[in-house]
Amino acid sequence: MAMTIEGEERIEAPVETVWRALNDPDVLKECIPGCESLEKKSDTEFAATVSLKIGPIKARFKGEVELTNLNPPHSYTISGEGKGGVAGFAKGSANVMLKADGPDATILSYEASADVGGKMAQLGGRLIQSTSKKLAGQFFSDFNAKVSGGEETRQEA
Amino acid sequence: MYQTNYHRASSIDEATAILAGAEDGKFVAGGQTLIPTMKQRLAAPSDLVDLRHIGDLKGVSVENGEVRIGAGATHAEVAGDSTLGTVSPAICHLAAHIGDPHVRHMGTIGGSIANNDPAADYPAAMLALSATVHTSKRDIAADDFFVGLFETALEEDELITAVSFTIPEKAGYAKFPNPASRYALAGVFVVKRPDGVRVAVTGAGEDGVFRVAPFEDALSDTFDVSALEGAAVPADGLMSDIHASAEYRANLVAVMAKRAVEAANG
Repeated sequence: MAMTIEGEERIEAPVETVWRALNDPDVLKECIPGCESLEKKSDTEFAATVSLKIGPIKARFKGEVELTNLNPPHSYTISGEGKGGVAGFAKGSANVMLKADGPDATILSYEASADVGGKMAQLGGRLIQSTSKKLAGQFFSDFNAKVSGGEETRQEA
Repeated sequence: MYQTNYHRASSIDEATAILAGAEDGKFVAGGQTLIPTMKQRLAAPSDLVDLRHIGDLKGVSVENGEVRIGAGATHAEVAGDSTLGTVSPAICHLAAHIGDPHVRHMGTIGGSIANNDPAADYPAAMLALSATVHTSKRDIAADDFFVGLFETALEEDELITAVSFTIPEKAGYAKFPNPASRYALAGVFVVKRPDGVRVAVTGAGEDGVFRVAPFEDALSDTFDVSALEGAAVPADGLMSDIHASAEYRANLVAVMAKRAVEAANG
């Protein structure tokens, strides 16, 4: 069960700063919803543990996050794949593009796709689209809040 | 199902105390969502705190124009309450059409709104009725309670004890149920009070229950089906799944709103 999600964020920071943050494991860890750990295996590969709670469902995924198609500081693809035991598997990737909007702001646009399989997809079919969209949106809005001005200015979407 | 520790609480304080002491505990009321999820191993709480034997969570009362429904009231109890049926039949009608008889005799109003399934019926009623959700810690207005998809203002160790609302002048509910699950593909609860009309929609929104301001304005002027002639909601932000597209749901919302008004005026 696959789906596509698109979105855009205007970030109050220059392109270079945004690019650095997109490659910073600490920033990524804080923005990936439910991320419990993110360990660097190489410059572009990370091992991740993500715990997700959607309504009554609670699943912990162990997997990998990888950065590919690097074109600094303009675009890359961030992809993740995880297995959640009996719950099934989840994988997703996002093509992220940065465009300067004046010297101090950046437009970040993304096209993400997500795929979920196993029991989770069977039972939660009606919710996967909404949930994926919400998680992708949460990642990029948290990222925006963090890069734009630190956590003090963070606002709930 | 995984091994889990079962606790039967006899009071609200005991229930919250047991949960506080558990490693990864969960309250269970009717268990109509949690138990099937556990059977599929999609949830594995270490401890279950059973709320069904707490007297303080039970009962429906109507006093001085205020309705109070205990969190532990089953859908069947709400549907069959004769006093409630006289003062606010719309909520009885809603409860009578949740799931199937098994779900209605086990599932509770507290469990339903705590779970806040985006297709559950009760959240629409709570939001449209401007209900208050009473918990073990505080009172929360329905407007602040339903936060998003399966998300509520509840804290992990907070327990819903009851919901209450003022008897409305008129109220009506209409839903288009999924023929298998009876979950709402779109359900609309309409409430008319002297100070205005509230319209809440469940089953359709990506973020769960929501209100429709243009419908409310139109109906506040004239509380009649004719006020909704040609009225529509945008498909943007509505759910799309194998059961129905966002566009189809948008159409259903308008149709159900009209039926709900008809029911309220009936």
